[in-house]
Amino acid sequence: MKSETAIDPKIMEEIIKFNKNVINAPSHVAAPDEIVLEVTPHDVVQEMDKTRLLHYKPLTDKQHKTPLLISYALINRYHILDIQPEKSWVRNLVQQGFDVYMLDWGSPTAMDKYLDFDDYVNGYLDGAVEFIKNESSVEKISLQGYCTGATLATAYTTLHPESVKNYIATAPVIDGWRDTTVISNLAKNMDVDKMVETIGNMPPEFMYYCFSVLKPFEQGIEKYVKFFKNIDNKKYVDNFLRVEKWLSDTPPIPGELFKQWIKDIYQDNLLIQNKMYVNNSHIDLKKIDMPIFTQVAVGDHLVSPECSMPLHYAVGSEDKTLRMYPTGHVGMIASSLSQKKVLPELGKWLLERS
Amino acid sequence: MSSKPQALGSTGPMRAFAANSKKVSTELIEINESLLQFNKFVTEYYKQLAETWNDAQKKVNLKAPEVPQDVEQIDAFKRIWIDIFDNDFTELFDSKKFGENYGKLVSKELELTKHWNNITNVILQSVNLPSKEEIDEVYKELHSLKKRVTKLEIETKKKKEMKKNEK
Repeated sequence: MKSETAIDPKIMEEIIKFNKNVINAPSHVAAPDEIVLEVTPHDVVQEMDKTRLLHYKPLTDKQHKTPLLISYALINRYHILDIQPEKSWVRNLVQQGFDVYMLDWGSPTAMDKYLDFDDYVNGYLDGAVEFIKNESSVEKISLQGYCTGATLATAYTTLHPESVKNYIATAPVIDGWRDTTVISNLAKNMDVDKMVETIGNMPPEFMYYCFSVLKPFEQGIEKYVKFFKNIDNKKYVDNFLRVEKWLSDTPPIPGELFKQWIKDIYQDNLLIQNKMYVNNSHIDLKKIDMPIFTQVAVGDHLVSPECSMPLHYAVGSEDKTLRMYPTGHVGMIASSLSQKKVLPELGKWLLERS
Repeated sequence: MSSKPQALGSTGPMRAFAANSKKVSTELIEINESLLQFNKFVTEYYKQLAETWNDAQKKVNLKAPEVPQDVEQIDAFKRIWIDIFDNDFTELFDSKKFGENYGKLVSKELELTKHWNNITNVILQSVNLPSKEEIDEVYKELHSLKKRVTKLEIETKKKKEMKKNEK
């Protein structure tokens, strides 16, 4: 009996081509250890425990006076801000003439489980700021915080406003109760005391689970289908692998820091209510009185705009700017949109105040 | 020298282990209880996933009832499938029922880990190795010492600077 279903030959062609691409993939793909994620030249100028302070080498003859310190997030590592030359946040700012420093939090081990907000804010962050002030002979620096790094930077700025000339909050985690993301739903229902008591640090595996439930079919299937379809496109493959390598490098978060972060931000929402304390010091957002630039991504599915925007309204600054961009959490810092729109706007704002 | 015969084996690991064997038995009984609870939450977890999958598939069937015949139709079908599945699963992961069940599931998993830690501690102590709690105490002490040293370093630096400024 003859089959009545006629298969479009193009479908077979596509399937054969896709299979070929999968088979040929190993010859097009670099091994993870062959991919170097740090692209902009820099020196490690200070080390405190496992943290490192990176100072990027100038790419312009003249530099603006006020140095900029970037406080990266606690999830994944800082490499996404310098993932490749054409999409590098850091390189763009250095090319605009800014003197850029980056705080690498390193990879905490089991013995770091007692590191808390105080260690990160008044220890590592303050240590880096004091070092930069001393090196650059300035009284104040510009500070940028990204994601959870902005939560730390916000706490720092309220406690040490005398050291911060300008504050840039990029997708900051501020108002946990307003956060509409899956991450916030998981965090609100987490028995964080038990987790820290039993495991110590927040394990990377838990973070990988959280990533896996974010757009699971787009990120878990379609992304890889696209990758194999584009296996001949060297630029696409290189960019894909860089981001994948970055995604798979999530350090643990020290237990005590993680505990306070989950409780104070997501469960009790103390930061936005001006009820949070770091080592008995009150975190009062009104004490942020310097120029502040808040950057929010409309399509952010890790830190929703509703979670970030309240910072703009809660601070005491008169000179404050809020910008919303039609992109996602990572798109805001590592995409062609960030190069064409986000960074030029930030550079202009910063230059007027540096 | 002790006259009791059992003291002869007082330095061996088996005596130390035997002394704590009751604890191991208790932990094993409690593990079973935790495992029952864990199974309850893990069943609910997969039930929620399966129900969401079925509902999403029904929506896809309604929106794209025809079998795709060419490459363009396959692409369009794939887009519909991914969008509907991503939306439905995100709605599930955002829901209170998922959050609560997942929180309890992880909590039970941690309880299982804790029982396993306690059994391991008995074994560690039987061979005179430090337990998790003892190592934690060392970590805590190290953390506190590091803080004190940093504080002292800052104070010393400030004093030096003050002296320098006085001169």
